[in-house]
Amino acid sequence: MGSIAIEIFGKKLRNPVMNASGTLGYGREIERLWSIKVLGAFVTKGLSILPCQGNPQPRIFDLGCGMLNSIGLQNIGIKRYLEEYTEFFLERKTPVVVNIFGFTEEEYIECALAIGDNPVVLAIEVNLSCPNVKTGGILFGKKPETVFRIIRGVKSATNFPVIAKLSQEVTDIVELAKAAFEAGADGLTLINTIPGVVLEENRVIRGGLSGPFLKSIALKAVYDCSKAVPIPIIGVGGIMNTEDVISFLRAGAKAVQIGTATFVYPNTIPKIVKELKKRRSFD
Amino acid sequence: MKHILGKILENIELTEKHFLLTVKVKAKIPDVVPGQFVMVMIDDKKVFLRRPFTLYKVGEDTISIMYKVRGFGTNLLSRMKKGREISLLGPLGRGFALRNRDLYVIVAGGIGIAGVNLLIERMKGRFQIFYGTSSSKGLALIRNLISHDPIIATMDGSFGYKGDIISCLSQHIHYFSGVDFEILACGPKDMYVSLKNVLVTYRVPCQVLWEEKMGCGMGLCFGCAVKTENAEHPMKRVCLEGPVFDLWDLSL
Ligand SMILES: Cc1cc2nc3c(=O)[nH]c(=O)nc-3n(C[C@H](O)[C@H](O)[C@H](O)COP(=O)(O)OP(=O)(O)OC[C@H]3O[C@@H](n4cnc5c(N)ncnc54)[C@H](O)[C@@H]3O)c2cc1C
Ligand SMILES: Cc1cc2nc3c(=O)[nH]c(=O)nc-3n(C[C@H](O)[C@H](O)[C@H](O)COP(=O)(O)O)c2cc1C
Ligand code: FES
Repeated sequence: MGSIAIEIFGKKLRNPVMNASGTLGYGREIERLWSIKVLGAFVTKGLSILPCQGNPQPRIFDLGCGMLNSIGLQNIGIKRYLEEYTEFFLERKTPVVVNIFGFTEEEYIECALAIGDNPVVLAIEVNLSCPNVKTGGILFGKKPETVFRIIRGVKSATNFPVIAKLSQEVTDIVELAKAAFEAGADGLTLINTIPGVVLEENRVIRGGLSGPFLKSIALKAVYDCSKAVPIPIIGVGGIMNTEDVISFLRAGAKAVQIGTATFVYPNTIPKIVKELKKRRSFD
Repeated sequence: MKHILGKILENIELTEKHFLLTVKVKAKIPDVVPGQFVMVMIDDKKVFLRRPFTLYKVGEDTISIMYKVRGFGTNLLSRMKKGREISLLGPLGRGFALRNRDLYVIVAGGIGIAGVNLLIERMKGRFQIFYGTSSSKGLALIRNLISHDPIIATMDGSFGYKGDIISCLSQHIHYFSGVDFEILACGPKDMYVSLKNVLVTYRVPCQVLWEEKMGCGMGLCFGCAVKTENAEHPMKRVCLEGPVFDLWDLSL
């Protein structure tokens, strides 16, 4: 079996497969089935400077070829998380990508500062698909200017590599990628969930789409951005199997993340890693 | 928790909306605590996410669930025939905790009986069942429990007490005064709200099986979170820290 190790942000990873943020709990939960040591790197759930209770129920909708979630970024807060989990990742020698978000630009910077020089951290992934409370909830990641400001702010607050995680809505994602690059981003994660709506009898629920119906959109984002910026791209969106992973790598991704697939087939990640090893090369 | 593959042995229609599905499984079935559930893959071409169902009965190499047709997924499930392969994930969650009370009062509303059937099967000491349903048709769900002398309420009065099961319970609860008893309940959310109102004066111990829509059933997605009175950690995942909760911990 060939090696499928990769080098990214100056570090060597066992393989190019990570989980997508928010889809593998805090890290311990899946270990009833497999060890997170299987992963090239573990990506945390979106973490904020203050704990966040998230949205009211219902939060999950099955749309047949994917789903919509309205979790609302529930988390216990970045400080508490790092206190409780650093040891867990150290023991497993698994590098961690810390996914952060804020409801103001300052909160992003506070998160970066809270990470300090934590020994398990590989990089900081900045979730820009978050509503800016100061502008009535417009997503930060919609405008190149705000992407630029937040990435530059986070860069100045940390020595860790900074990854901008973008989504695809109205703006041309290539413009956002360029803004992130110009602000000093060391990498991109493409793509986050895409905003959607579910109409219930008496209410409208907004949320993010994920799963197989995202794959082609995500592949386009990876392909176009990899031509436009010279930094590593982590591809994510609708990956269900090894073929999908190969497509992302061929489109220009250096690594991949697997999200929603794990909800349905909890062994997707170890299965893909095993199959990649058998194939030896990524072509 | 493990991945359990099996074949449908039978999928019996109990009423036009209620079914009892039995799956024959190949591998050894892990130990199950009553109240635990499985995530069922219905048809991966049409339904994307698995659906949660309480373990209704567990045999040596069979697993049964009793379900009500509610939406797309359960509708499809009701049409699945004998012999079909089916994938289950479980057992999941935290079930009922028994603390050797003198008496357990088991309260089920409608399909909620599916949530307490295994519990009843495994009861050792004294217990009393209260079962509420819309009409006498709902008796088809408790045929196996008649020998336990359940107290029955129907909304339309076609059998037993006329009205909802919690009003019925409130008329009987004085019989239990002075007894060390606990209530174990499964039913819709409005049933729990009425239950809380009835029990509040004496703060009777009570565990309830709480349902929320689930994305994964394994604690990965936070789709099933419910708010509790716990000051430090208010949000609890139903699939991990539930589905059985202490009624007094939930913020209803
Ligand atoms: C821990 C747990 C145990 C359960 N045990 C049983 C059981 O033993 N027997 C049984 O019949 N049902 C049980 N349920 C409910 C069952 O999972 C849902 O009825 C089922 O998922 C509906 O799927 P659907 O595709 O038919 O409905 P959908 O089309 O998804 O929805 C139809 C309607 O059902 C409601 N619904 C959907 N999912 C749930 C859910 N998880 N809980 C409550 N309401 C829901 C929706 O809000 C909607 O109004 C359980 C749920 C949980 C969380
Ligand atoms: C339930 C759920 C929670 C998520 N939480 C986050 C999050 O906290 N931060 C983030 O950047 N992305 C989050 N995402 C987006 C995923 O990381 C990923 O970008 C997206 O789901 C597309 O990948 P997939 O189709 O493989 O799931 C979440 C997705 C889901 C389904
Ligand atoms: S259903 Fe996913 S965390 Fe409970």
